[in-house]
Parts: sequence; structure tokens; C-alpha cells
Amino acid sequence: MLSNWKSLLTRILIAIWGLQVLWLFWHLASEAGDIARRLGRGDVGAAIRREDPLYSWSEALTTVIPPNATYIFLDNYEAGKEIEVRYFLAPRRHLLMAPEIPAPFLFYAFHQEQALFLLQRNRTNPPGPGARAALRSGALEPVDIPGPGRIYRVDHTRFRWGFYD
Amino acid sequence: MIEPAWGLLRLLGGLGALVFLGYALLAVALPQPREFRGLERLAFSFGTGVVLLTLWMLALTWRGQPHSLAGILLPLAVPAAALLFTPRGRRTLSGDLAALKAPGRLHLQGWDWLFLGLLTVLLCGAFLRAILYPMWAWDAIATWGCKAKVFYATRGLDLTCIEAHNYYPNLLPLLLSYLYFCLGRVNDHLVQGLFPVWGTLLLGLLYSLARRLDLSRRQALGLTAFLALNGAVFVTHLYIAYADLPLAFFALGAVGLTYLWLADQAPPGSLTLTALMMAGLAWCKYEGPPLAATVLLAAVLTLTWLRSPGTWRRLANLSLPLAGLILGYLPWRLFALQHNIHFGSDHVHSFYPQQLVQAVSYLAAALIQPYYFGLLWPGVLLAAIFLGRRLWTSPALFLALFVGGNLLAVLLAYTLAPTSVAEFPSYVRATLDRLLLHFTPIAALLVGLGLKALSNSRSEPS
Repeated sequence: MLSNWKSLLTRILIAIWGLQVLWLFWHLASEAGDIARRLGRGDVGAAIRREDPLYSWSEALTTVIPPNATYIFLDNYEAGKEIEVRYFLAPRRHLLMAPEIPAPFLFYAFHQEQALFLLQRNRTNPPGPGARAALRSGALEPVDIPGPGRIYRVDHTRFRWGFYD
Repeated sequence: MIEPAWGLLRLLGGLGALVFLGYALLAVALPQPREFRGLERLAFSFGTGVVLLTLWMLALTWRGQPHSLAGILLPLAVPAAALLFTPRGRRTLSGDLAALKAPGRLHLQGWDWLFLGLLTVLLCGAFLRAILYPMWAWDAIATWGCKAKVFYATRGLDLTCIEAHNYYPNLLPLLLSYLYFCLGRVNDHLVQGLFPVWGTLLLGLLYSLARRLDLSRRQALGLTAFLALNGAVFVTHLYIAYADLPLAFFALGAVGLTYLWLADQAPPGSLTLTALMMAGLAWCKYEGPPLAATVLLAAVLTLTWLRSPGTWRRLANLSLPLAGLILGYLPWRLFALQHNIHFGSDHVHSFYPQQLVQAVSYLAAALIQPYYFGLLWPGVLLAAIFLGRRLWTSPALFLALFVGGNLLAVLLAYTLAPTSVAEFPSYVRATLDRLLLHFTPIAALLVGLGLKALSNSRSEPS
């Protein structure tokens, strides 16, 4: 009698699990379909990444930014794109700053971190106050690389810093 | 066509070298290696090889030697090959070769085929998903994969150009960078083949441990399928480059062997292997040392509670797994201290009781949420009911203490997490499934014990 209810409970659990397995395969079916389609077309691996304009732009940036250089990336962390660019451009040193960063902080970062490039993820957004001031100072030189973002070469030596008392 | 096939071969060669390193060490470190089942030895050899190789890579950086494939592999492979020429190594090798020449027949039937078929479809699909798509998941590109790329490019453990939880242990990034050396370049889709392979070894280990619990082949295969095909979390971790699946592997190895040792069913040398799995736990992820500590704590409590003969001697024997924990924890801690890598306190700031209340409800929901782990946790509850008083009068207590203790540890972790009120729900959503994944294979072992109890109650005369 005792083992009857145990067996019954086990059978019910196994039956629901069986339905759950069917749901799981249904859930994964769209991914399986995508794998099959891509295998058929042969666009797998790196080709998938090239579908992303941000990656293509980052790949072009690697020809301009030396591997040991530091760059400042203007973007909001919440957008989730900064992490991707950092990964694509690794091992280049990456510093994230908000697009609205004021000039003194941005100038200090250029000087202190000896940044050689300034990147803005979204080309359509106007430069923030810091980037505008840096452009006016003549220390930024735009580099023409087509893509979703902008890149400027930075002459960090023009941002002098020190205590004057 | 030739290039991807050649890349795949190089990847498999790199993984094979890890198995070889572990195999050679275990051939001499274990008194009777052939007491372990083939799947167990494959899994433990791989795990041991990974721990050995990545700690060696850390040592190379410490000595200021840049990483290269020859520099990483040769100083380990040559002594490993020499170990196989020792009398014990030769004996083990010849025994294994003889067993390979005369493999036993499987005689699968009905349900066996179904379970094995489901597992095969899942693992083949996961392997394709892993190697055909580039690295994309958040932690993979933010932490593990990014560090691996940096380590490969800088030929060492250089963290000066990256700020990505730099105090996290580096078993996985170093392993990925070793595979990049094997592949000859950064190939972040092929390298993800590591994860379905690791998942297969984890499932093989679970199957073998289930067989040691006296489950029939059908029951053990069913249990393995029950873990793998329950919810989407385990499946997803088979193809994203996260450290949680490796951590779950080491946790299963350490806990499974300790359970067998407590139940007097462990093959000779199990505690040595447990020590190596504990080292893997501590060196794999930030959550590893606490997990390893709960293994020891649960074992101590079980021995004390059960008061079986020789309790003091057995308590003293636990110093071996403790040594493993220290072996996995200390080198990285010392390296970090020497290189002024600040150990983050971003996880522990204060105590927020209101978060505890919220975390309890989130945890309860996650345990029954089909998308996470399907029916695994309801299965654990059923197993606990079937085990009845055996749960606290037998070594099953160890598994229950480990699982229960870690559920409490998850709650404690959320109570200490410094997040804003608005951020807390999304913080839990982003982490809870992974924290639970670390010990779901052990929860599956509890389900296995429940199955065994059910079988025993059926065979007992009424």
C-alpha cells in the first residue's frame, strides 16, 4: 500500500517530465532551425558576427588603434554595447565614460590615462559637452571609418595638468 | 571545409592533451585506478588535467615566462609520459589498453535507447550550437572570454589593460587561452566546443555515480536525462562560455566522491581525487571556495551526527580535501596580493534584511519555475519524502546538508548584495539560475537516492 502511492507519485512526475521534455524540444526548435539554415548557407562562425555593423566597425578600428593603446569609449553602460566593443578590441585598454561627461573630467582622463583615441558609439548622437570642448581645443582629429560610431585620434600631450600654487 | 575540420582536430587535440595529463597523474596517484569506471576516469582525468595545466600557466606568468603552446604543454607532458613508464603507470596503461581491445557489449533495451537517444540529440545539438556561433553571452564576452583573449594576446596573465572583476579566479580564461594556443589563433566559436564536452563529462560522471548508488542502468540513464533535460538552464550552459558548468562539474566530483567515502563505497584513493576536485572548485570561480567549504562542513556534520566507528580518524582524513581547497585557492590569492590586484568587496557590503524576504520568494519561485530546472527540484522533494528517516540516519544526510546548506547560502548571498531596491529583482533574475546550477547535479544525486529507496521499498515484502 505504502509503495503504491509512492509509485503513483513517481509515475505522475515522470509523465509531467515527459511533457516537459516535449516542451523543451519545442522551445529549442527555433534555434535548431537556425542552425540548419546557417549550415545550409555556410554562414557560420565569424560570418555570423559580421552581420553586426558594430563588429564590422570594431574590426576596422583594429587597423587604426594599436594593440597597446588606450581609448576612451563614450557610451552608456546600460546599452550593453560597450562590453561588446571592449571584447572586440581587446587587448587594447578600454575606458568607459558617459557621453555627457563634462570637459574637465574628459581632459583629465586624456592626460592621466594617455588615451590615444576617443570613440563614440552612436554616430547619429551629437557629441556631448566634453567631446565638443575637446574638438574645439584642436586636440581631436576625426578618423574617417564608416560605421555606426565615430572615432577621433587624440593628442593627449596637449592636455597639460598640474598644481599651480 | 578543410580549415574548420583542421581547427576541430586541433581543438580535440588540445582537449585530449588535458585528459592525457590527468590520466598519467591519476595512474600513479591512485592505488588502483582501474577500480574507477571508464567514464569516471575520463571525467576525473580531464578535470585533473585542467587544474594542473591552468595552475602551471599561472606559475609561468609568476616566473615571468611568456605563454606559448610548447612552453605550456612540454614541461607537463614529458613528466606525465615518464609517469606512465613507472611500474604502476605501466600496469595501469596495459590494463586499460587490454580493456579497450575487448570492450563489453552494452545490451541496451527499450527505455535505455530512449534516454540515450534523448541525451545524444541534446549533446550533438549543443555541440553544433556551441561551435557554429561566436561567443555572445554577457559574462562570456564581459569576463571569461575577454580575459582569455587578453591572456592569449599578451602571452600571460596580464590584467593591466582590463577591468573585469580582476580578482575572479582564472581557471576558465587560462584554459580558453590554452585552447587558442592549440588553435593557433583566437577562434571564439570553435573554442566553445569545450562546454558541451565538459557537459558530457559531467553527465557521464553523474551516470557513473548513479550506478555506484546501485541504480540499474535504465534508472541511471533516466536520472542523467532527468538532469540534462529539465528546464533550459543546463541546456543553455552547454553552449555559452560561462564558468558555472565547470564549477558544477567540480562540485559533482567533490561531493559525489565524498558521499561514496562516507558511505564506505568509495574506491581506494577517492579522497586524493576529492582534493583535486576541491582545487578545481576553488580555482574555477569566486563562488568555488564557499562551495568547497560547504562540502567539508557537510561532511564534518554528517560524521559527527552519525557517529560511525572511527569518526575521529575520518574527520582527520578530511584534511586531504582541505589541502585541495587550499591548493586551488592560495596560488591565485598570493599572485593577486603580489600584483596588487584588489580583491572585490562588491559582493559583500552590509546586511539587508528586506532583501532576505524578497530572496526567499524568488528562490521558492525559481525552484518550481519550469523554465529554470523543470521538475528537478520537485523531484528532490519527492526523493526526500521517499528517503524518510534515512535522510538523517545514513550518509544521505551529507547530500541533504550540502544541498540545503547551499540553498541557505544563496539566500545569505542575496541578503548581503549591495543593490538598490529597484535593481534587486533584476540582479536576482540575472544570477539565481546560475547559483542553483552549481549544485543541481548534486540535487540529481539525491533524486537517485530517492529512486533507490523507492526500488528497495518495492522489493521489501509487505
